[in-house]
Formats: sequence, C-alpha cells, structure tokens
Amino acid sequence: MSAVTSVELKADARSEGFFSALAPGARAALFALAATAVCLLFTFPVFWLVLTSLRPASGVFYVHRGTEFTIDNFHEVLSQEIVLKALFNSFVISTAATVLSLGVTATSGYMLSRFKGPIPNTWFSLIYIFRCVPYVAWVLPLYFVTQQMHIFDTYWGLLFPHVAVHICFFSWIMKGFFDGIDPSMEYAAMIDGCSRWGAFWRVAMPTAVPGLTALAILCWLYTWNEFLFALILTSHETPILTVVMAQFVHELGMEWNLMSATAVIALVPALIVTLFGQRYVIRGLRI
Amino acid sequence: MAEVELTSVRKSYGHVVAVKDISLEIKDREFVVLVGPSGCGKSTTLRMIAGLEEISSGTIAIGGRVVNHLQPKDRDIAMVFQNYALYQHMSVHDNLAFGLRNRHVPEAEIAAAVNRAARILSIEPLLDRRPRQLSGGQQQRVALGRCIVRNPKVFLFDEPLSNLDAQLRAQMRLELKELRLRVPTTSIFVTHDQVEAMTLGDRIVVMKDGIVQQVGTPLELYRRPANRFVASFIGSPSMNFINVNVTAHDDTFILAAQDVHLKLPAARFANLGPCAGRSICLGMRPQNIRLGAPTNNDVGFNGTVLVSEQLGDEQILAIRIGPDEIRIAGIDPDLALPVGSQIEAAVGMDHLHFFANNE
Repeated sequence: MSAVTSVELKADARSEGFFSALAPGARAALFALAATAVCLLFTFPVFWLVLTSLRPASGVFYVHRGTEFTIDNFHEVLSQEIVLKALFNSFVISTAATVLSLGVTATSGYMLSRFKGPIPNTWFSLIYIFRCVPYVAWVLPLYFVTQQMHIFDTYWGLLFPHVAVHICFFSWIMKGFFDGIDPSMEYAAMIDGCSRWGAFWRVAMPTAVPGLTALAILCWLYTWNEFLFALILTSHETPILTVVMAQFVHELGMEWNLMSATAVIALVPALIVTLFGQRYVIRGLRI
Repeated sequence: MAEVELTSVRKSYGHVVAVKDISLEIKDREFVVLVGPSGCGKSTTLRMIAGLEEISSGTIAIGGRVVNHLQPKDRDIAMVFQNYALYQHMSVHDNLAFGLRNRHVPEAEIAAAVNRAARILSIEPLLDRRPRQLSGGQQQRVALGRCIVRNPKVFLFDEPLSNLDAQLRAQMRLELKELRLRVPTTSIFVTHDQVEAMTLGDRIVVMKDGIVQQVGTPLELYRRPANRFVASFIGSPSMNFINVNVTAHDDTFILAAQDVHLKLPAARFANLGPCAGRSICLGMRPQNIRLGAPTNNDVGFNGTVLVSEQLGDEQILAIRIGPDEIRIAGIDPDLALPVGSQIEAAVGMDHLHFFANNE
C-alpha cells in the first residue's frame, strides 16, 4: 500500500514540475534568490546612473574606486537653457499627448467594444494595419509631412504623430477595459433617461476610470521616454529631453557625468508618476 | 399603469430569425412571464419592448401609444437585469435617484421617492453604500428599487433571479409577489425557470425557437398543454411520454406499444377518432401515476423498476415500460422497491394527454 502511495506522490511531483517537488524551505529560498537577482538586474543600472551623475568628469570611468562626489553636474546641466527648455517641452508634449490621446482612445475603444458594423470593422482593420507597420518606417514619411505642413520642429509636429501612435496602440487596451464593463449598466442608464452618449459619458466612463488612469500613466511615460520621433521631428526650436540627453555625446567626446545628471533629472517626474499610479499601471499592463 | 400590445413583432439578424411574428396583449397591471429554453427569443422580445433592440417588423404599443421608434428613455418603462446592472461608481441612494435626476425632478421629490422605495424594499440602511459592498440579494433589491422609484408604466424583468442561489431565489420570489401587491404595475418577466413562471405569472407565454407555443394561466398550461414541448417544459418532474399506436375496436380505442395495452372508451375519447390507425404520443404527469392495480376510471400498465430518487418526503421512481422510461412521483419514501422488481401502475383517464408525434 505504501509503495503505491510513494509512486503516486512521485508521479504528482513530476506532473507539477521541479519547483513543487522541493521542500517548502528550499522553495522559499529559491524564490527569494530569484527575486533578488531580478531586482538587482533592474535596479543596478539605475544605481550606477545615479553614482555616475554624482562623480566629476574625471572620475566617471573609475566610479567603483573613486571617493570624490559632487553635485556640480546637476548645477551645470540645470544652468543650460536648452535642458530647462527641453524639460518644459517634454512635460508639455507628454501631458498634451496624454490628454488628446485619451479623448480619442476612450471613444474609439468604446466603439470597438460595443458596436458592430462597417464603421467599427473598418476602424479596427485600420488600427490593425497601422500596428503592423514597423514604428521606424513611420518616421521618415512623418518628417516630410511635417515639413510640408510647416509644423516641423513645433509642438504640433510632434504631438500629432504621438497621438496617432497612441490611438493605434491604446484603442486595443481601452477596448479591453470596456469589454470588462457590463453593458447592461449602460442599458439601465438608457432606460433611466440617458441617451446613448449620456450612457457612455455618465456610466461607462466613470466606471472605466481605473483603466483610463492606467492608460494615462502609460501614455505619459511612453511620450516622456520616446526618442526616435523627437530626434527626427524636432530641432533647435523645440528641444526634447531625450534628444538633449543624447547631445552630450559629441565630437569632443562623451560627457557621461552630465548625461547621467540629466537622466536622473528626467527620472524624477517619471518616478513620481509611476509611484502615484503603480496600482493602475499594473492593472493596465495585465490587459 | 398601462397595457402592452405586441402585433406581429419580428426580429431577424440577417437570415436568422430570432423572434417570429409574436402577437401578445398584456393587460393593465397583469404579470406576464415569458418562459422558454436558452435561445428561444424571450430576452430579445423583452429587449424589443424596452427599446434596446430594434424590431424588424410589427408594432409594439405601450398604453395605446406605438413606441417602435421611441428611445428606451421615452417609453416610460423600468427594467431589472440579470446581473443587476447597478451603477458601480454611485452610492445606492444615487443609483435610485439617477433616473429621477435625469428627468429633472425636484430634489425634495427625489428624496421622498427614494425613501419610499427604500422603505418598501427594506434597504434604508444601505443607502450610503456602494453596490460592490452589497450581497447578491441586496443588489437585487436595489435594482428593484431603481424600478419602483420612477413609478413607470411597465416593469421589465430579464431573468432577475438567475444569479441568486436556490434559497435566496425562493425568498426573492416571495418578495416579488409581495411587491406586486404593494406596487401593482404591468410587468413582463423573462425566465428559463418554469417554477418561477408558474409561481409568479398571472399568465405564462411559453416560447421555443422564436415562436409562441402557448399563452395561458399557469393552471391552463399545466392541465391543458397545447403541445408536447409545453407539456414537457411545464411541471417538475417533467411529463412522461410514450409513443403508442391507436386502433379503434367497436366502442373502445386501444393504445398499444411494447408492454402497454390501454383500453379507452370511445365515447369519452372521441377526439382520438382521427388518430385511429396512427401513432401518437401519450403523455402522463409523474404526479398523476400511482402504484397499484387500475380501478374503474384508470388505465394500468406494468413496468420494471430502474432506479429510485429519495427526496425525503417522497420518492421519484424511474421505471421501464418496453423501450420507454417513465417517472412516477409522490411515492411513499418508506416503500422499498428493489431495482429490477416488477410493478403495476395506474393513471386516471382524466390525466392522459395526447400529442401528435411530430410536435
């Protein structure tokens, strides 16, 4: 009888995998080790970045054995007008792109979730096709288009492409959020005196607030971190933080210390936004 | 308060016809239940009355006014949904007040109406809570409250008790009946549960494949089902059916199948005349069959015990007669009937139902 039981146990262990075959203590230890390794993997570059930003130019290559630390790098980058302008521009573009994108993606996602027919189908196909086009392939045509429209190197010249990309990417996520909301709530609202639009605006939208918040944060971070569009579609008139950061690599060499200091400054708003909406971001990423 | 009239109402999705020309008159303050299996078109019919589905043809009138092209909000109806459909971002009070606020009713009147509804449904302590903080039964009461607070012409119920557990469902059924007495309003109730239909409805509309099979009071449907489908759908356990051949012999009709030989007086069963020489379907309710030899007014048959279901207050016995299996209800729970034993059973002639074989 006991032989049979042990065979069954072994079979169970095999079927559930290596991890469950371990003793509970060993399992916990292994999990802790893996979690620590992942944490280190993600936090070490940030730690190194902060360390580099606090070192003088001469010490950036000897971070691990230097003892001299300074905040001069921050003073220097913040005294450069272009960096301040870029910070402001990046903030304005990210916020404006978020507001505009959400306005469109909310209605677009709602339409994709709730309506059937030729218009939603065509819209869905269009978004799908645009998503299939490699991101890089858009940049050069967009450069010519913005030149032709005389919006190159302006807020609008960068805003429109960002909003277009966000609509394609985030309409899907928004559709997922609305799919998760019971449509009978809107039907109830329509019976309770709302029009179709009223049911969307007064019932579906407030219910989708967690989803909208997650999208807003993702959208803001995406625009804040974006480099390629900013590099090609802007110039001296509208400097953007990611491009300005890259300009510390020039013909005379690389100013790692200044670049790191700018990167740390750029991290702060992103960190605040992420910490503020961590719960929503996780929810958004799950979809 | 209003009557509802459906005239040849049809709903089709492309080539698929979901509801086929339903005509129905629902009287003022009547409680009508639409019942049928999944996909029979009962919910679609309700949604067409509500204005949530457009109708393909026909007319729907509420209170004598054709509402075909009216928005749901202009039809003066209220609806309870299967999953309650409460506004999750509002308190219970605001859920109840939402419809009145949309109609720009003065706040003082809203407060009075909400309090009245809350009192009727005993949800006064819950008014400040959010829907997700309520149990299923409480949410259902709030959904009912949202209906009665507006004092609409018609209540529509779309399987409102389906999400509740059996005990709560029975309780809510009673509460709905009480509510009807306190707030008498024309009501249309959709369900797939024949017990709900029988207990709640003044009249029941049985539907199948988008077609109305029979309309009648619960007792009419139970006692005189129009066809085999209605007979099998109404009543629990459902009716037994045996295919029999009818032959006429002098003053009797013989209904015969393997192990079945029933003699019925021709004078009493004159309606079997046209069926002579053909095969028909004989129906008997499990509750109308008893164990033992037939008496004067009965017909009898023999069978083999297959299995017994013990319910405590009764046994339900499954027996085999020829190729058919039938059930007998209401058997003494203490009676021991071994599997495989031969038994004799009888059924009153008044309780025989006859259906065409193709129904």
